[in-house]
Amino acid sequence: MSDQSELSAFREEIAVWLRDNCPESQRQPIVREQQIWGGRRRQFPSEDAKAWFEACRDRGFTAPEWPAEYGGGGLSAEQAKVLSQEMNRLGCRPPLYCQGLWMLGPALLVYGNEEQKKQHLTAICRGEIRWAQGYSEPSAGSDLANLKTKAEDCGDHFLVNGTKIWTTKADEADWIFCLVRTSDSTPKQAGISFLLIDMASDGVSTSPIPLISGESEFCQTFFDNVKVPKANLVGELDGGWAVAKELLKHERKMMAAFEGMLEKPAMELLELAHYAVGSDENGCLKDAELRSDISQHLMREKALGQLGERIYWQGKAKQSDPRLPLLMKHLGTSEAQAKDELIMRALGEEGLSMDDPTVPHGLRKMVKQWAFNKSLTIAGGTSEVQLNIIAKRALGMPSEGKS
Amino acid sequence: MILNAEQAMLRDTVAQFFQERAPVSALRALQSHDDSHSYDAALWAEMVELGLPAITVPEAFDGLDFGWMGLGAIAQEAGRHLVASPLLSSVVMAQNVLLNCGSTAQIETYLPGLLSGEATAAFAIDEGRYFDPETIGLAEEAGALSGHKTRVLDVGLASLVFCVARKASGALGVAVIPSNADGVEISPKRFMDLHGHGSLVLNSVNSDTIDWLEGPDVEGGLARAIDQVTAVLAAEMMGSAREALEQTVTYLGEREQFDVKLGTFQALQHRCAQMYCELELAESAVAAALNGLDQGARNISMLVSSAKALANDCFTLISSEAVQLHGGMGVTEEMDIGLFLKRSRVCNQLLGSSSYHRDRFARLNGF
Repeated sequence: MSDQSELSAFREEIAVWLRDNCPESQRQPIVREQQIWGGRRRQFPSEDAKAWFEACRDRGFTAPEWPAEYGGGGLSAEQAKVLSQEMNRLGCRPPLYCQGLWMLGPALLVYGNEEQKKQHLTAICRGEIRWAQGYSEPSAGSDLANLKTKAEDCGDHFLVNGTKIWTTKADEADWIFCLVRTSDSTPKQAGISFLLIDMASDGVSTSPIPLISGESEFCQTFFDNVKVPKANLVGELDGGWAVAKELLKHERKMMAAFEGMLEKPAMELLELAHYAVGSDENGCLKDAELRSDISQHLMREKALGQLGERIYWQGKAKQSDPRLPLLMKHLGTSEAQAKDELIMRALGEEGLSMDDPTVPHGLRKMVKQWAFNKSLTIAGGTSEVQLNIIAKRALGMPSEGKS
Repeated sequence: MILNAEQAMLRDTVAQFFQERAPVSALRALQSHDDSHSYDAALWAEMVELGLPAITVPEAFDGLDFGWMGLGAIAQEAGRHLVASPLLSSVVMAQNVLLNCGSTAQIETYLPGLLSGEATAAFAIDEGRYFDPETIGLAEEAGALSGHKTRVLDVGLASLVFCVARKASGALGVAVIPSNADGVEISPKRFMDLHGHGSLVLNSVNSDTIDWLEGPDVEGGLARAIDQVTAVLAAEMMGSAREALEQTVTYLGEREQFDVKLGTFQALQHRCAQMYCELELAESAVAAALNGLDQGARNISMLVSSAKALANDCFTLISSEAVQLHGGMGVTEEMDIGLFLKRSRVCNQLLGSSSYHRDRFARLNGF
């Protein structure tokens, strides 16, 4: 009971604080160009954005659940939930976007030493350092453990040579966390270490990779005799796989806390379909096949949410079926692509160019999103790898070569 | 969206019971009887003893009030073994139409016999080739009811028929008709999945022999009952789909070709994994619909249409793939998998195909 009353007192305090500190402009749906990213070269999209970020930073609300001593808010899980609910209610934009927040930080909290936590977590919370992720390599995609980027033990430092690909926004990042090979022991996972590398070091270079969406979210980063201090090793030498797994666990959790993390399309699917296809006197879309396919998609999209609810309630009742979370990535990404295809069908000619200035900007963004989203079923474990995992772990089917 | 402890316990009991008493061979055995014999009365008597007719009945009417999640779990277990029983036809359909559309007096008249297993009732709504509850031609005229109904489940053994019809006033109603009344002609049949149904012809059945359900909102009650029944059928289908997938995965784990287990081939693993994704996706929609019924969700019709459409698609996919992945054995009568295939196509047509439910879903969503 007292917990509940403390929580509601906290809720009231937060509501007042948000009203006082979140400018009106920061309560509008997020637009990609106005996201607040940190880093050495950070530039705020507006004075309001700067004020909102600084207010959150000073209360530790950029990382509400991290300990206050590392720049976090020191909130309990319940309090953090209240904060996120109140922010969603007001439509507050996220005060900071950073892969350090979503991915590296939670892993450092588990595997980092005191020095590393002090240095890096604080810089992440304060938006001073922007991070990139260095996992995949040109010859190590789905087979991540096959990575070749080598960190050679040179006494007081490692000498790193190799290349990392799909390093999201690495051209704007200050530091990169990498999986590197520190020994050739088998299995291959056993010779991998987790290393933090300052991208300002000599020998680090990054170039963006032009994508079919006309953008370059992803980069390739090269390491040419880069000296990395031994102090930048996280976890045990050759024990990087465990850190990487911890990090994956948190990858999307923090992002899920904000409904308004991603830019909303200019029109929702149904609105677009009515606009583009038109409807008859009963309000039915004129394209019967598209109408039926939209129904099917909306049902499946809803069912995905209901699958998430099942997982949540099972967890709450301590009756978790461990097979269900394995399905989310494949189902979610393929359904997102199905939606993009419906958008493209509805758009007709307006969907045939990404840069025709006579087509409304918002619609062209949808076309770019369609192209970009082809990466959804590839990045973070391809659908084929997901299906392998489901067959083996959920259905218990035998491994190839073993009979 | 998950079962409570009592519901889970009942499900486990019933699962065990079906496993022992109602294997698929029991369904096959019905073929040695005439077509009116659509289930084994002794099996049904035991199901009644387990309390199955009373699961969603309110306590005020001596029911268990275990909720739709509870009933859905039972239906799933029935689906696993393709159990032939009047659970769907008499309990979920007819009895539930009674509870939703009948007056208290009518409920008190008919319910005790249905709950005790002394009587079963059938529910007649379909008239045409497809499920189409908006088009009801069977009508009362000049003191008599005439017309025909089709796909009336388990009608061969039912003593009462709850028949959707137009009253003389033009209003939609539900007529309770004794199946032995003058002018009632019942032709029992079997679907290809061996489950029983029949057509019903009414030749000027005297209005005096008919009891029109007269609850406060018959039309609304009927719509609600149909949503409830549809959700439970979808649950039963998910049980069948799950069983078909499990049998297939087991088969692939045993069958050897090219000196390896078929289940080691990635092409086959991916197809099974894909089916499993579809299974749990549809299962979630069905759970949401059952839960929505228990919670009195306002958008229940949308939830139910999603559940049935996804269950149709999922069971169709899995049963087809199951036959294919069983190879030559899949098309033999020796295996049960062919019955799952047939059952899926029958269930698709009952209470609305995917096309029907996608159209309904679109209408409900204003497009």
